[in-house]
Amino acid sequence: MESTSPVQPKSAFGNNARSSPSASERPGTEPDAIDARFHLAAIVESSDDPIISKDLSDSITSWNNAATRVFGYEPEEIIGQSILRLIPPELRHEEDRNFETLQTGQRIEHFETARLRKNGERFPVSVTISPIKNAEGRIVGSSRIVRDISNRLKSDESQFRLAAIVDSADDAIVSKDLNGIVKTWNLAASRIFGYTAEEMVGQSILKLIPDNLNYEEDEILRKLRAGERIDHYETTRRRKNGELFDVSVTISPIRDESGRVIGASKIARDISQRKQFELLLIQSEKIAATGRMAAAVAHEINNPLESLINLIFLARQDSPEGSKAHKLLLTAEEELERVSHIARQTLGYYRETGTPAEVFLHDLIENVLTVYNSKIISNSISVAANFNDLQKITVSKGELLQVFSNVIANAIDAMNTGGTLDISTRNFVGPSGPGIQIVISDTGIGIQAEHLPRVFEPFFTTKGNMGTGLGLWVTRQLLESRGGQISIASNSSKKNSGTVVTIFVPFARPQPNMSAEQKNG
Amino acid sequence: MLETYSDAIHFADESLSQDILPLCKDTASPEPDRSRRKILVVDDQKLIADTIVQIFQDAGFEAVAAYDGWSALEIAGRLRPDLLLSDVLMPQMNGVQLAIAMRRNHPETKIVLFTGQAGISEILLEGKEKGYEFELLPKPIHPLKLIERIKEQL
Repeated sequence: MESTSPVQPKSAFGNNARSSPSASERPGTEPDAIDARFHLAAIVESSDDPIISKDLSDSITSWNNAATRVFGYEPEEIIGQSILRLIPPELRHEEDRNFETLQTGQRIEHFETARLRKNGERFPVSVTISPIKNAEGRIVGSSRIVRDISNRLKSDESQFRLAAIVDSADDAIVSKDLNGIVKTWNLAASRIFGYTAEEMVGQSILKLIPDNLNYEEDEILRKLRAGERIDHYETTRRRKNGELFDVSVTISPIRDESGRVIGASKIARDISQRKQFELLLIQSEKIAATGRMAAAVAHEINNPLESLINLIFLARQDSPEGSKAHKLLLTAEEELERVSHIARQTLGYYRETGTPAEVFLHDLIENVLTVYNSKIISNSISVAANFNDLQKITVSKGELLQVFSNVIANAIDAMNTGGTLDISTRNFVGPSGPGIQIVISDTGIGIQAEHLPRVFEPFFTTKGNMGTGLGLWVTRQLLESRGGQISIASNSSKKNSGTVVTIFVPFARPQPNMSAEQKNG
Repeated sequence: MLETYSDAIHFADESLSQDILPLCKDTASPEPDRSRRKILVVDDQKLIADTIVQIFQDAGFEAVAAYDGWSALEIAGRLRPDLLLSDVLMPQMNGVQLAIAMRRNHPETKIVLFTGQAGISEILLEGKEKGYEFELLPKPIHPLKLIERIKEQL
């Protein structure tokens, strides 16, 4: 190979150039042509991407440094070889197709396919192919730039994976720029806020923030610019439908390659349900505390109450009948009795004797009916009793008396202008085993639907000033501590009003370690 | 009437107590029998013990107060009461312990305990384990009802 320059390019431009008559037959132009050629050669050599050319018989005619680096072949071992050596067998047909395209004079740009390195490794590439034409314009081969895109695909893959992670998250993940404009919006964000990605991307994040909390956004941006994170900040946001709800927000700065903060990524967790549970927990704690507190308070006041009752009684005995003092003391005594009643009720203490006894429940019910007899008559209530409890049951007499008394008293109160009080007892098998079922129903005014779920709440009453709101609560405590249940159904519509109370007491007493406290706090 | 009243007082709902409380107007009448029954009243709350003693005396009984178990036993030795009415929760010697001691020393004495606290089951259990069972009244209790229950015992 003759050379007119001291610098010999490592790769040759091949026979094509030399076989072209024009170049070597124009001695006058040789230095310019040679300069131009070496200039081009230098460009090709300095390319980062492999540049390979071939002739019409698919023989490789040029091979640059990058091609050596990427494919692994030295020029001397590959020049003259078929280009098909570089192409995976199943993709070789592409060359024919490409050739046809080239024939029309078109380039093929960024064609994604695969190639083979010398070691047999297959790798993804993006190829740009141009035709090589001779002076007459006839295609004599093609030159291609082959870009190894394995890295790009890898990062694409990890990008897809990240995107999938973001989309499958349960929490809303939103990114915004430093002007508060939403850049990305994941599926959970759509679900939680109600806006689709189309509706939110490009919009201000203020759309999600209640007006009175807009200042938060400034504060957040200030912190972000300072590079600070905001962790689990609980606040309120607004859904598309206007509903306000509680969220816990974590915001992190997004930086570019130089470390500059260019935006923020926000994870918002809808905690409205958790807050609801917390409220319920607090409420039930309050009720439990009420129970405990009531017991403590009642206990503390029972002694002074005992003294008071005695003192007032003695004072009344001592004052002349009919005197003002006597009347006042009588009133005081009545009020005191009411207080004692509350104290006894809240204590849940109610025993005549310390031990339970075997009784017929219908006897206890008869007892209660006798006590209320005058009220039953004055209210024009007719009583229908159907006692079929054939077995005695071991209960604390006082407790069951209180249970029946509370329920029957309620029934009587509901029938101010007459009605029917229906009481039935029978053997029954409940969820906890066999026992006695008692059903007490009245045709009174009934309990309104919105009140019904609350009737067992302590201090809830529909009787205004007259009610302590403790009767049913205590009743349920007493029953449940005995392993029994109580349920209430009611109808308050004018036509068919009435209430049905169903009580169940199992024969088997609950185990000692199942205390009332465990059941209801 | 008193019978009805006393039962109602146990578990009358507040709405009914308005009807029944006027019965309070009854005053206690003195015991008509010749020998006055003797009652020993024990409570660490002096006010309670003293007012109950007064109430019993107005009702015709002979009543004496003690404010702890030791002095109660001492007085009982001299008084030989027909009935002991004692608070349960007292410091040092509780009502059940006193009652057991009374049973041993004065087996003829009737015993009634009273308390303002429901959680005395362990204390009662202590008595039960030793084979004793005692009548128990709740605090607060209306004087008339108290008298009635005491009369039942005697």
